[in-house]
Amino acid sequence: MTDGEHIAQEDLALYAMRGSSEEESAMVRLHVKECAQCRAELEKLAADLAVVAMSVEQHPLPEGARQRFIEKIAAAPAAQRPTGQATVIPIRNEKPVRRSGAWVPWALAAVLALIAITLGVQVNSLRRELREDTHELADLTYGNIRAQKVLDVLNAPESQHVLLTASKAAPVPSARAIYLASRGGLIFQASNMGPLPENKAYELWVIPANGKAPIPAGLFWPDAAGNASLVMPELPVGVEAKAFGVTIESAEGSATPTLPIILAGATPTL
Amino acid sequence: MAGSASAGDAQLLDRVCARDQQAMTEVFDKYSRMVYSVALRVLQDQGHAEDVMQEVLFKVWREPQTFLEGRGSLGAWLAVMSRNRAIDALRRRKPTDAVEDVVLVAKTNLASKYEHNSMIEKVREVLKGLPLEQQKSMKLAYFEGLSHSEIAARTGDPLGTVKTRIRAALISLREALET
Repeated sequence: MTDGEHIAQEDLALYAMRGSSEEESAMVRLHVKECAQCRAELEKLAADLAVVAMSVEQHPLPEGARQRFIEKIAAAPAAQRPTGQATVIPIRNEKPVRRSGAWVPWALAAVLALIAITLGVQVNSLRRELREDTHELADLTYGNIRAQKVLDVLNAPESQHVLLTASKAAPVPSARAIYLASRGGLIFQASNMGPLPENKAYELWVIPANGKAPIPAGLFWPDAAGNASLVMPELPVGVEAKAFGVTIESAEGSATPTLPIILAGATPTL
Repeated sequence: MAGSASAGDAQLLDRVCARDQQAMTEVFDKYSRMVYSVALRVLQDQGHAEDVMQEVLFKVWREPQTFLEGRGSLGAWLAVMSRNRAIDALRRRKPTDAVEDVVLVAKTNLASKYEHNSMIEKVREVLKGLPLEQQKSMKLAYFEGLSHSEIAARTGDPLGTVKTRIRAALISLREALET
């Protein structure tokens, strides 16, 4: 989802469209809190997408819709008054009551109204706090889960550490993959990767040990320094790998690798 | 098309806060068609789309104060709310977006630019002019609320292809909006 520093635009767009999973959403929320660049991009994307919504073809309202709305708001004006503007009926404006003890019910009603308003304010405040806490908890929980997954892949004795080097010529580009088949976990870091034409992308492949077709493990574009990474791309669980490879594909990615293989590395034999 | 959200909207919302039903009716007259049309685009059902429209606009009446600070464009906010509520209805999930989740939209000043009719027309043209695969991916993502993986499963295209198509569509859209 991230390229190491920032969240990919398409993932930000997915978040803005509310198509991300809860975990991904929590991760994005956490990241944009701290990253002004991604926050700005998310704002732009959200604005762009708002215009997409606003550009839909306009249709007339169903018959009677306006009247139904007017009746709806007329039926619930006072009950929905914003909390901060709630008022109490001023009992001092009532006509003076001469009968002894007749003020007691009014006073009780006023006290009860005050209590109700106070409780209403408190309930709203608690709801707001609960919602904020829930978001924060989700962020922390997801952060912990993800950190644990990364640690699992890094520390598991059965994780395979593979060094990928250039198949020909000077071994300038290189990459390292850490793969845990039982979890479908993969951490990949490449360096000294050459720049790509605009319509091209590097694609990482998992070569299954069972001889089946290579599995695409994600597209990546190196930064200006030639570095790139893929962290926990979506992969099927339980596929033992024979090797890993990197090819150059079209920017849309490919279902099968295109020769030549830029980087390749076999998994160590156990 | 809804007019530009401007000082006029702020004044309307002030009056709505003061429980002025006439002001709320003016908000309804200004934006209800757009809100309804967005919901109808997603749900393809007039009855359900009206339900969403009524809910979104009633929220303005019920909680106008939530729009007042830093929300910017009421029209854009309503469009996004309508789209999100319709997607919730389509996917039969509980409404999840708090007002805060939509605030991002309004930090960009849509009022002066994006809500202009010519801009909307421009966006329509850009969307129509996208390659069919990009149109389809955007439709599935934005108007059906599918994730990239769900789109890939639905279309049979590789996940990377789906992401690239959506990214290309968004780049085309951004370029059109910034020119």
